[in-house]
Amino acid sequence: MQPIIQANHVSFSYGKQAVLKDISLTINPGEIIGLIGENGAGKTTLLNLLLGIRTVKTGELALFNQQPGGPLAKQKIGSMLQGDLPVRGVTVGELLTMAATHYAAALSPTKLMTDLALTKLAQRKLTTLSGGQLRRVTFALALIGNPDLLFLDEPTVGMDTNAQQLFWQRVQDLKTQGKTLIITSHYLPEIEKIADRILLLRAGEFMFQGTFADLQRQYQHVEIKFQTALELTTFEQLAGVTKVMQVHDLVQLTSTDGDQTLQALVPYLPQLHQLTLNRESLSDIFVQLTKEEKA
Amino acid sequence: MKPFLAQLRFDGRRLILRNFSFQFFSILMPAGFYLLFTKVMVSGSVSASFNVNYMASMIVYSGTINALFGIAAILMRDREQGLLQWYQLTPTGVQPYYLSVGIWSMVMNGLAVVVLGALAVGVNQVSLTVGQWLAIAGIALIGQLPTLLLGVLISFINRAETLSVVSNLITFPMAILSGLWWPMSMLPNWVQPIGKLMPTYFVNNWLGAVATHATLKSTTVIGVGVWVACLLALVIGGTRQLLKRGDGVVKA
Repeated sequence: MQPIIQANHVSFSYGKQAVLKDISLTINPGEIIGLIGENGAGKTTLLNLLLGIRTVKTGELALFNQQPGGPLAKQKIGSMLQGDLPVRGVTVGELLTMAATHYAAALSPTKLMTDLALTKLAQRKLTTLSGGQLRRVTFALALIGNPDLLFLDEPTVGMDTNAQQLFWQRVQDLKTQGKTLIITSHYLPEIEKIADRILLLRAGEFMFQGTFADLQRQYQHVEIKFQTALELTTFEQLAGVTKVMQVHDLVQLTSTDGDQTLQALVPYLPQLHQLTLNRESLSDIFVQLTKEEKA
Repeated sequence: MKPFLAQLRFDGRRLILRNFSFQFFSILMPAGFYLLFTKVMVSGSVSASFNVNYMASMIVYSGTINALFGIAAILMRDREQGLLQWYQLTPTGVQPYYLSVGIWSMVMNGLAVVVLGALAVGVNQVSLTVGQWLAIAGIALIGQLPTLLLGVLISFINRAETLSVVSNLITFPMAILSGLWWPMSMLPNWVQPIGKLMPTYFVNNWLGAVATHATLKSTTVIGVGVWVACLLALVIGGTRQLLKRGDGVVKA
C-alpha cells in the first residue's frame, strides 16, 4: 500500500529554537491518526509542514508522493484549522458555495449542509453564529472539496453535546469511506475512541506511535476502586500498588501490575464492596507520561 | 474562470452590497466635496474648467480613499480572520481573491466616475464628448492601480490601529500635496515639487488633460507607470513573504 504521508528524519527549527527533531512517520490511506501532545510540543509546526505552509529544512516529507503544498495535495486535502472564518456580510450558504468552486471534485453545498444539519443556518450571516455553529461551518469547509486527507485541529471546541455526537458520527462515516484523518485534540477521550493510531509528540519528538492498546500495554497501569472500612495503609504495601487514595467513599489503588495486586487483595475481598477495575484512559496515561518526563 | 466568477459574486455581496459605509466613504464623500466646493461655498461664477478639473480631482480622491481606507482594511481583516490562508490552501490559491478585490475596487471607482460625472453635468452643466467620458473612465481605472497597490501594501501592517493611522497619514497629505483638494499653486513653493511626484498628481493631471483638451505630458503617463511598476514589485514581494511566513495559521 502506498503511504499517503511519508516523513523521514524531518527536523524543523525557528532560528535556533528546534521545534521538530528527527521525526519519521508513515500514514496509510484510511487511517485515523490522533496527534496529541502538550502545548508547544510541535503539533502546530508539524501540521504547517504537512500543509505546505512551512517548508521542511531537514529530512524528507511527501504527501501523495509529492511535496507538501503542491497542486495535487491541495486538491486532496481538507483542513479544519483552529480559527473559524466569521467573514462579515456573508451567509453560511454563500461561503460554502464560493468554497466549492475552488475544488475540481467538490461536494454539493446543499447536500453537505443537509448531511451536517446546517440547512437551518444556510441563510444566517456568519457573524451571527455561535462558536459551536461556526465550528460546524468550518468542518463543512474542510469537507467541501471531498478530500482524501483531512486535518482536524481541535475540531469540537465550542460544540454542544448533540453537535459533538453528530461530528464524531460523521468522522466514522468518513472512515468508512476510506478517508484518512489526522486529528489533534486536547479532549483525549475523543481521540481514544476514534483513532486507529496515536502519535504522542513531546518537545518535538514522538514519544509514542501505535494503537491505544499498544500504549496501554506499554504503560500497564490499572485503577482498582472499592468501598471498605479498612485503613488505607492496609493497601500501601500490596504488590504492584504505586498509589493509594481516598476519593469520597471510595478507595482508589493505582497499580503497575493488575494481576499481582488482585491476587494480593484476595484475603481482603470479604471486606471490599463495589469493586471495579479499569485500565487507564488515554488522558491518565498522557498525564503520567508528561509528568514522568518533567520529573 | 468558475472560481473567479464565484469569487466576484462572493466579494460583490460582502464588500459592496452589504457594506454601505464602504460605498459612503468612497463615493458619497467626494461627491459631497464636489458640491461643496463648486456650488455651495463659492461666490460669483465658477469657471467651467474648474468644474471639470475638480470633478477629475474628486474622482482621484474617491479612488484614493477607496483603496487606502476600504481595500487596505478589508485585506487586513481577511488576513487576520484566516480567509487569505484558506485561499492559499485551496487548489486555486490567492489569485482569484486578490483579482476580485481589485476589480471591485475599480468598479467602485467606475461608479465614482458615473456619480461625479452626473453631478458635474446635472449641477454644473459640464459638457464633454462621449469620447472624453470614456477616456476619463479608462484613465480613472488605470489611475486606480497605484493607490490600489499602495492599499495592498499598507494592508501588510500587523495592527488595525496602526493601519488606520498610516491610511490617514498617506491619504490626506497626498491629496493635499498633489492638488486634489485645492490648486497646487496655493501651496508653498518648496512643497510643490514633492506634490508633483505623487501618483495622485499624475492621475489627476492625466484626467484633467483629457477633460479640458489640454496637452498631455509624457511624464504624466510615465509617472503613473513607474508608480505601478515599483508598487507592484513591492506588493508581489510582500505577499510572497506574508504567505511564506504564515504566522498564526494553526494555533494548536
